[in-house]
Amino acid sequence: EEQRYFSASGAPLWLRRRQHSASCRELAVRGPRLQLRSLSAATSAVWLAAYGLFVLCQNSMVLSAAIFITLIGLIIYLHFVKIDQESLLVISSLGIQVTSSYASGKESTTFTEMGQVKDVVISEAIHMQKVIYYLCILLRDPADPQGVSEVVPLFQSSKPRLDCLIEVYRSCQEILEQSKATPQSS
Amino acid sequence: NSPAPLPERAIYGFALFLGSWFGFLLYLIWAYVPETWLFSLGLTYWPQKYWAVAVPVYLLVAIGFGYVLLFGINMMSTAPLNSTHTVTDNYAKKQQQKKFQVEAIPALRDIPISEVNRMFFLPEK
Repeated sequence: EEQRYFSASGAPLWLRRRQHSASCRELAVRGPRLQLRSLSAATSAVWLAAYGLFVLCQNSMVLSAAIFITLIGLIIYLHFVKIDQESLLVISSLGIQVTSSYASGKESTTFTEMGQVKDVVISEAIHMQKVIYYLCILLRDPADPQGVSEVVPLFQSSKPRLDCLIEVYRSCQEILEQSKATPQSS
Repeated sequence: NSPAPLPERAIYGFALFLGSWFGFLLYLIWAYVPETWLFSLGLTYWPQKYWAVAVPVYLLVAIGFGYVLLFGINMMSTAPLNSTHTVTDNYAKKQQQKKFQVEAIPALRDIPISEVNRMFFLPEK
């Protein structure tokens, strides 16, 4: 059910594919949860630095401030930064829905209707001194039938490698072919 | 526009050589000779000697800064992942399709990304 892959930076990822019906598929990429060792390392680093400052300036407010900063920082990180799972739901007659679930439980969803979707492709681009493969949705240009008006990159925080992307691409293309074979009457 | 040696180029080179040696000797005189000696000769309108040290330091710091600046400019002008420049550009949009001739090498053209993807990734291994 879940296959193990790697991200562009070497972290382990899990891809789960579910077929809800003949024309509806869900592909979810899950990253590793927040590790206890990295949390302890960050907390110890902040508290050691605060203790060093306290030894220098003998002000005990530094220690309380460090505890406060660690707690607030952890909450902000879990709610706004750490994305646990990114999923792609493709329904051939309706559209494509992209959901990002954060570690605190927050979910952010974007839906694109099928009329606007031109294609889902694997493209490669330069990103921070590396060249990475990434999956993206090409949106149709209303003025130009062959043109692309916008590129929506997917799986931005988990950044799976090419083998995982090929699996997702093939699943998406099977569903998209169905939607192209039966054109909607608008 | 060939890089071959010409008489005019030899003259320019020699003039630059003499000029740069003259400039260097002038800089050394200005930096090292005490002000009183220069005043006694009647040459009073010199810039402050502070600049004899400051200008080389500014130049070296500017060179080091230039490395970082060039790196930053490169990163800034890289197209972000969500821009259409990663997929196509003006030349590709305006290209004309040449007619297909039998038994001739097909003309060079930009293949759309959907077609490239289908060719690469859809066939089963």
